[in-house]
Amino acid sequence: MPSGALLFQSIILGLLLGGLYALLAAGLTLYFGIMRVVMIAHSAFLILAAYLAWWTNDRLGLDPLLSLVVTVPLFFGAGVLLQRGLLSRLRPATLTMMSVLITFAIALMIEGLLGYAFTGTQRRIQLGYGTASFGIFGARVAVVKLIAFALAAISLVALYLLMKRTQFGWALRATIQHQDAARLVGIDTERTAGFGFGLGLATAAVGGTALSLDTTIYPSLHWHWIGPLMAIIVVGGLGSVPGAAAAALLLGLAQSLLQIPMGATWAQTVFYVALFATLAVRPQGFFGGRLAQRF
Amino acid sequence: MPLAAGAVLIVAIAMFPSLAPNPYILSSGVIVLNWAVLATAWNFVGGFTGYISLGHGALAGLGGYATGLLITKADLPSFVALIVAAVLVAALAVPIGFAALRVRGASFVIVSIALVLILLLVFQSWSSVTGGSRGLVVPRPFPGMLRPEHHRVFFFLYGGLLLLALATWWLLDRSRFGMGLKAIREDEDKAESLGTPTFAYKLTVFVVSAAFTALAGGLYALWFGDLDPVFQFSVLTGSYIVLMALLGGVRNLYGPVLGAIVVGVALEYFKVEFGNTPLHLVTTGLLLGLVVMFMPDGVIPSLTALVKRLRKREDSSIREVTAADLAEQRKREREAANS
Repeated sequence: MPSGALLFQSIILGLLLGGLYALLAAGLTLYFGIMRVVMIAHSAFLILAAYLAWWTNDRLGLDPLLSLVVTVPLFFGAGVLLQRGLLSRLRPATLTMMSVLITFAIALMIEGLLGYAFTGTQRRIQLGYGTASFGIFGARVAVVKLIAFALAAISLVALYLLMKRTQFGWALRATIQHQDAARLVGIDTERTAGFGFGLGLATAAVGGTALSLDTTIYPSLHWHWIGPLMAIIVVGGLGSVPGAAAAALLLGLAQSLLQIPMGATWAQTVFYVALFATLAVRPQGFFGGRLAQRF
Repeated sequence: MPLAAGAVLIVAIAMFPSLAPNPYILSSGVIVLNWAVLATAWNFVGGFTGYISLGHGALAGLGGYATGLLITKADLPSFVALIVAAVLVAALAVPIGFAALRVRGASFVIVSIALVLILLLVFQSWSSVTGGSRGLVVPRPFPGMLRPEHHRVFFFLYGGLLLLALATWWLLDRSRFGMGLKAIREDEDKAESLGTPTFAYKLTVFVVSAAFTALAGGLYALWFGDLDPVFQFSVLTGSYIVLMALLGGVRNLYGPVLGAIVVGVALEYFKVEFGNTPLHLVTTGLLLGLVVMFMPDGVIPSLTALVKRLRKREDSSIREVTAADLAEQRKREREAANS
């Protein structure tokens, strides 16, 4: 039996990791809600943002957080272009399958270009405060992990407020709920859907910067993220943001706790076990998700 | 038409080894045939039901590892191990398919990618059984056989497997079962309401596809003799298979074979010319994107459509007469009949 302090440490780290998962899963959920698209390239954009943050720090000598000023608008634009230029042009009948292939192709291209531009060498940001940590109740928490969590939490709250309090948020939610009805009340659903995709991809920009603070990155890292993220959105119930957030925290916690007896590699299997168990037992997900019934 | 093309294929397979100028070309031929079997096996699911799997590379890897482990750990003869491995993989495909196919589209793709990732994790970490990252050496089935002869034998084995897979696909295509599968592809709700047991059909065809994929993977293990988890459980393998099948055309019996020849030869060529660079990924991604955007039905239907458009004058199926002409013509016919 591990000591109490170790358990507490794992719980804290699990929750901090879960926060990042929740932000990224929120982006995936947005895409799925808007177009029933499973966006494989989400985590590739995540790694791209992490590389841009690393580049900002390593080559320009600036704080990696400053890269957000560029990456967030850039990714927003890329998301809009992706939806308007590619996904909305696919045949509706085969949209789900073909959109997976398109986004998969984009993921491959990003991975290849990253490998070409930055080589396959593992990169890590060296920060002045990178090794700083503080203790609470016997647990040691690295400052960078807390910054990453704060970034994720702030973005999630901002996303929530945007969806609930602004006119654009209402339009977006209406588009997700019923596209035809939304169009009838005068919402430009096509534009809204494009902006929704931009918003989703912006979460990848924030997540990637947060990730780069305390993780060693390499071009093929995105495969380690897309599996867990897809497991999270299935367990949470495809299309439900609160469901995805709950599943993200729960699975992040489970992964962190299982690392104590099983080690880091085997602890990753918890996501896949959860994915298979959910689909076999309760395919609509464990945390609601109205859309999941048919998908 | 399918029989004529089949005859051409059989002759091509029979002739190729004696025409190949050197053993390297012959071994490339084996690799291309391996792709052709994989793409055809994939097409059982992708072509009939429209469900796209990105994880078939993992099923092939599983077949390879199962074959290798049955030979080294259970001391089975090579080809018995191959068959047993295919049966085992087919059996494993039942629970996987059960989880993946109960709901529609999106979950299936998610599970197929997750399958690759989890198997890579397991086979790399569980080194006491699988050899881990060091890989697994599979004993050759014909000890003492010279390398060119070895390639030749496996070329014919792969050729036989390809013909078996094509024949099975052709038979399914004409059967009631195949009709049900295609109904699922066109409209799953309507198929279900007309009484097609959609879930059972999807699961059955997934298991058949897994068995053929595992056979191809097992043959590869016997031929190549060395398995590395990074290559056996690579997302890239699955995406090559999808690219081949889509490029050739998933609704056509020979589409995946054609795609496998084009893409497989290109892969071998680029490996020789440029080695392994990250630009492989870029090119694959770009090609896949272009195929999905501009010819999702594949080369064969696109070309047929093009030819039809060029020859439009000769065999148009629409009658080129106006309604007034037609009424006139009918009136004349009636009068002729009356008089």
